[in-house]
Amino acid sequence: MARYPLIGYLVWLILFGALFTWEGLALARVTGVPSLSDVFRVIMRYPFGRWALFALWLWIGWHFFIRGWHFLLRA
Amino acid sequence: MAPDGILALTTADRQALIPMSAGYLILMSALAFGLYRLYHPREAPSGAESPPGQGEQPEQAPATPRRAPATPPGRAPATPPGRAPATPPGRAPATPPGTAPATPAGPGQRTGRAALARQIASTVIGGYLLLMAVIVAYYFGVARVGPGFLESALTGTALLLGLAAPVFVALSWLAERRDRS
Repeated sequence: MARYPLIGYLVWLILFGALFTWEGLALARVTGVPSLSDVFRVIMRYPFGRWALFALWLWIGWHFFIRGWHFLLRA
Repeated sequence: MAPDGILALTTADRQALIPMSAGYLILMSALAFGLYRLYHPREAPSGAESPPGQGEQPEQAPATPRRAPATPPGRAPATPPGRAPATPPGRAPATPPGTAPATPAGPGQRTGRAALARQIASTVIGGYLLLMAVIVAYYFGVARVGPGFLESALTGTALLLGLAAPVFVALSWLAERRDRS
């Protein structure tokens, strides 16, 4: 495996680990931090927040599932 | 002369690191903004008191039950006079038995299918345009990753929308039908 993918995987692992830790602590009410649902609910009160989250969702779907395809699934 | 800093990275490194860093910064900024608004709810301007439960909502979602403004955990619920009592994050609002949990619509609040469709359409169009702007800026400003990149981004996300939108509409219709029965 090349050097940069390993670093990339490690960084993603740390980021997602931190995210899941945060959510776990919030759901367990250990530290009193708000859950991601609370944060996203606040973000989605604003139109630009909804656009940004929808754009993020769209990008994730395109990047992981659609990218490399062509319109109407033409190979 | 050898380039310094991030310019010393190879193109593959930059194409892997820069989008990841940019996406991380965008996501963390959004989360930070949400956290800030959660801990610092916007006060109603003096003389223009907002109705209960609408103090920090610039745009109301139509026909959607909303909770009262959240209170940071560990703090006393600082509720200004005339506003609904705060609800701790992650907890259901205290609703008296026998009352509906949904907030009734205000006098000027849009409700119904048309308003919901309008909000969904604005979210879809705004999100799509925002993503296209980011992708075009990335392509011309960061890395020209390939000749089919822009076409793939335009058509791929449109295909994703074409697949997801009918499912979303069908599920929304089914959920509404189930709520009625």
